[in-house]
Amino acid sequence: MAATAGAALLAGCKTRGPAAAQAEPSQVSIVRAPAYDQSLYETMRRIVAVHRLDVRGRSVVLKPNLVEFEPENTINTHPLLVHATYEAFLAAGAASVRIAEGPGHRRNTLDLADAAGYFRIVPKFDDVFIDLNLDDVTRVRPKSQFSRIEKLYLPNTVLGADLLVSMAKMKTHHWVGATLSMKNLFGTVPSAIYGWPKNVLHWAGIEECIADLHAAYPRKFAIVDGIVGMEGNGPIQGVPKQVGVVVAGRDSLAVDATCCRVMRIDPFRIGYLRLAAADYTQIAEGNIVQTGERIADVATPFALIPEFKSIRLG
Amino acid sequence: MKAGECGASAPVRQPLKAMSIATLINKQNRDGGWSYVRGGSWTEPTVYAIMALLSAGETASAMRGVSWLRSISRRDGGWPPCPAVDQSTWVTGLVALLGPETMGAAAHRRAVGWLMGTTGEESTKMYRLREWLLGNSPSLDTKEPPGWPWVPGTAAWVGPTSIAILALDKEDRRQSSSDIRGRIDAGRRFLLGRACDGGGWNHGSSRPLGYPSGPYPETTGLALAALRGVRSPQVDLALTVAQRFLDECRSADALNWLRLGLRAHGQLPAGYCTPSGVEYRTIPETSLDLVMTAAEQGRDCFWG
Repeated sequence: MAATAGAALLAGCKTRGPAAAQAEPSQVSIVRAPAYDQSLYETMRRIVAVHRLDVRGRSVVLKPNLVEFEPENTINTHPLLVHATYEAFLAAGAASVRIAEGPGHRRNTLDLADAAGYFRIVPKFDDVFIDLNLDDVTRVRPKSQFSRIEKLYLPNTVLGADLLVSMAKMKTHHWVGATLSMKNLFGTVPSAIYGWPKNVLHWAGIEECIADLHAAYPRKFAIVDGIVGMEGNGPIQGVPKQVGVVVAGRDSLAVDATCCRVMRIDPFRIGYLRLAAADYTQIAEGNIVQTGERIADVATPFALIPEFKSIRLG
Repeated sequence: MKAGECGASAPVRQPLKAMSIATLINKQNRDGGWSYVRGGSWTEPTVYAIMALLSAGETASAMRGVSWLRSISRRDGGWPPCPAVDQSTWVTGLVALLGPETMGAAAHRRAVGWLMGTTGEESTKMYRLREWLLGNSPSLDTKEPPGWPWVPGTAAWVGPTSIAILALDKEDRRQSSSDIRGRIDAGRRFLLGRACDGGGWNHGSSRPLGYPSGPYPETTGLALAALRGVRSPQVDLALTVAQRFLDECRSADALNWLRLGLRAHGQLPAGYCTPSGVEYRTIPETSLDLVMTAAEQGRDCFWG
């Protein structure tokens, strides 16, 4: 399968399991991006270059977070950021870049993408988009087993990609505290098998399944749309929160932990980060090489619902 | 695939229909089934394509689809979403909708049996006992009537419950049974209990963490179809919501189910025609449009 070959070929895109964490600190970029405008194209080119993502001749899948029919894109990853990333990977020599998502509540994915502005922003969107809910699947056993799920059917488009780019939205989440690049992987679980919602993941433990999916996709890059995020009762019913940053890196754990700190959430109190980080070193601030802005300079406390007051940092 | 213009006096979009039937036939996989968009065959699009083709009298192509469906049935009487999956799921309700006249008496009986034996996990005795023993529930009684899950071993939701009700309701009219009527009644009470505060249905979580959430057009239409013949404040409110959705919505999937739901209650505007510009992007969307159009002309797969 391309999945195996790609792992060896993607220089620098190696798995960062808990054992690797101590050996090599993860690099996470925090880049200021005050608005959804044309400057994002240069921003994303810079991020791809800084992280030395050698995608020449490789297949890249961008996985945004598409949740609801909502033109303002407080809920969904903004299409301009996705298109800027799409262009950046093509410019870096990727053989193919596709955009793929499988929303958990709404069946009509392309209509949802249309409402979110993807058809307007991304030329020939229909040709580059794959509905992961309806994709053909392969049965896999996650490399790490945190949940009760012994096997998962996952979409061939994602399994076959040389690089999966999780393009999350920076949001609070009413079940797990925060939804970032790792929780965004729920959208790769096909609803044509698991339903709308993907309730199997809830019954097996949401946090455990996030950790399982993180392990199932070793060749990842994480980009979090924190230009305008969502606070309060996220991931759908919260309110917009302007932060003005894009956070990115190869290590999803380090990226999500950094996003938590930007949101003034304690990453050590996010269950799925604790699970996946094993000895916690990957999410310790001292073990993350921060580039771009300093956390302290962009930190923006996100309002939390009462059920999650305890995850507040500090 | 794109809907054509709809003149006020045009009863149906015949050219589109002819094109869509041809599209379905062209997109049939070699094994007889259909994909959602491209790729291997899946149960759901295959069932809807069969319904559409049978409505149009295209029996040869439809029966190849039926043969494929029969070939992937599982020993427990149910159907998997696609051959790669080793578990029967909610799509069994779709197969049951095809009826014995299409699937054959034995396969149909097994599908109905699977549906009758399936509930959301929260309604099972074992789950209730466990919740009671753990102190999470004050009694062994169920909190709400049983519905149907997407996948066995998980909770009941609006979509699979509505599909199961449509299939069992059709079966009950064919061969009345108090057991079947009991499950239909319980399923309908489940749906009424899951209605959103402002009317209509979403996927089935009307108040997550106590915060009210809004309805979706597609699930509102689907639940209304399953509640055919039911009079209740929730249905009345949902019909108002569905009418609004019908005017505003431009999603093919949503419009298909809204048409069915409103027609179930005699509320689909006379001579209704899908607005121009609606994109039919998947086999289920194309097929269901044809099925709904045929039903509106009197060739009804659901209640005929």
